[in-house]
Amino acid sequence: MTKSLPPKHLVLYADDDTDDHALIREAFDEFSSLIELITFVDGVELLRYIESLAPLQPQPCLIILDVNMPLLDGKQTLRRLREMEEFKAIPVVLFTTSTLPSEIAFAKAYDAGFVTKPLHARQIHLLVDQFVEHCSDDIKENIKRQRGK
Amino acid sequence: MTKKAIGLSEYNELSQDQQFEMVHHDGVYVGKRKVGKQIVVLFQLYGFYVEVYYKHYRKHVDHTITSDSTDILQPYIDQIQVGSIGNNPEK
Repeated sequence: MTKSLPPKHLVLYADDDTDDHALIREAFDEFSSLIELITFVDGVELLRYIESLAPLQPQPCLIILDVNMPLLDGKQTLRRLREMEEFKAIPVVLFTTSTLPSEIAFAKAYDAGFVTKPLHARQIHLLVDQFVEHCSDDIKENIKRQRGK
Repeated sequence: MTKKAIGLSEYNELSQDQQFEMVHHDGVYVGKRKVGKQIVVLFQLYGFYVEVYYKHYRKHVDHTITSDSTDILQPYIDQIQVGSIGNNPEK
């Protein structure tokens, strides 16, 4: 009997800084059997990808957006996502270096989370938890189970 | 952790952990550059600047340089948007 593996949870991440791509990829590495991370260099690329998803394809469980990107920045991308009926409920996190009250308020207004980019190693360990906190309960449970292994 | 703005000399007297916490929480990203293989990130913190030299990007800080002179902005000038300093140059 063949047993098919359940599809991985899809996490999308848009950031023009490829050093940060590597950082996030490393942070999610521990959960690579559960999570597939797909990276983009700006909001346009990310929107093009999700618009191309077929109706029966798994939807992303989380979208992480850098705030300052060329072509379409994180805030513009978030606004567009919230205007799209099929994606308006997907958890989104704005991921940025500066903790500005106006950015936090913007994220809140568009029902998104807000995570500050880490400055050093100790903060990196908290990153996945900070992201996953915005995911659905079953994903949180899967992550917790994976950690317990 | 106090949220009150402090001056450069007061900042320099803080422990390294307190300094990092303050930059992480209240610092405003100015720009990023490479010096050889080393990545360097400049933040504005209140009325002065903190330049973070990484041994391993966002993981291990090699050292930091602080200054209240705008001369420190020079290598980042092409990344600075007009009106962004002290306002909203987030990355």
